[in-house]
Amino acid sequence: MTRLSKTQYDLRVFAASSVYVALVIALLPHARHAGDSTLRPIYALVPVLPLLYIVWLLGRRIWQSDELEQRTHLIGLGVASAIVGVFSLIGGFLAVTKAVPQDTAPMLLIWVFPIMLFSYGFVQWWTARHYGGGCDDIDGLPAHYRFIGLALLFGIVALWAWLGKADASAAVVFAGFAGAFALTALVFALRRRRRIGSGEE
Amino acid sequence: MNNKVRELRGERGWSQGDLADKLDVSRQTVNAIETGKYDPSLPLAFRIAKLFRMTIESIFQPGKD
Repeated sequence: MTRLSKTQYDLRVFAASSVYVALVIALLPHARHAGDSTLRPIYALVPVLPLLYIVWLLGRRIWQSDELEQRTHLIGLGVASAIVGVFSLIGGFLAVTKAVPQDTAPMLLIWVFPIMLFSYGFVQWWTARHYGGGCDDIDGLPAHYRFIGLALLFGIVALWAWLGKADASAAVVFAGFAGAFALTALVFALRRRRRIGSGEE
Repeated sequence: MNNKVRELRGERGWSQGDLADKLDVSRQTVNAIETGKYDPSLPLAFRIAKLFRMTIESIFQPGKD
């Protein structure tokens, strides 16, 4: 199996994430209102398929990494597991003590995987920077492209929620995420422009 | 640990990418080794020594710590 370049990996993860968002938007409303109870699990679980593909891509990338990269992946996954574990514990206590509304508890579970991926990505990036980093940014998609992609995905979900498929508070939350990612993209784009201007790249 | 990897690579006119390809590692790893931010494993140190036709101890020397 040929080694995936960072750009190939980034593009495939983005494509799979886009398919995931499209499937959630297309199928989740049907899952809630499907009269036939046998169809409900199918509607609910089909969006998981692109996420399984992302997990497979991640495993392939780690498997094909060299020793330093494997160390950064290990630290990233270790810290991400700890963060998700603590997040789940807090969510579990809040749900058991009914400190959060009953219908909010399942929503906490939906956030486990995204939080795991975000924290893993951030810690892995931060650890790579500790070892000099930089090359990862050159080999892969520039960071601001990745954040623009995330802003677009969350923007689409916010728009979908705003148009009445979900509640308005969810639309505000997703719009907030989209705005935060857009702002981060702007910061990274300006940093890159400054680095190119000063001849560092 | 101190090392002469950057110096040896420079003598041969190789880029970090060239050396990374020859050692089957990433450019980030070559960069981290050259700047002393990462000490390679023994197998990788042997690959580096073999590539430069030198002994490990002539390329890597213990640092102050």
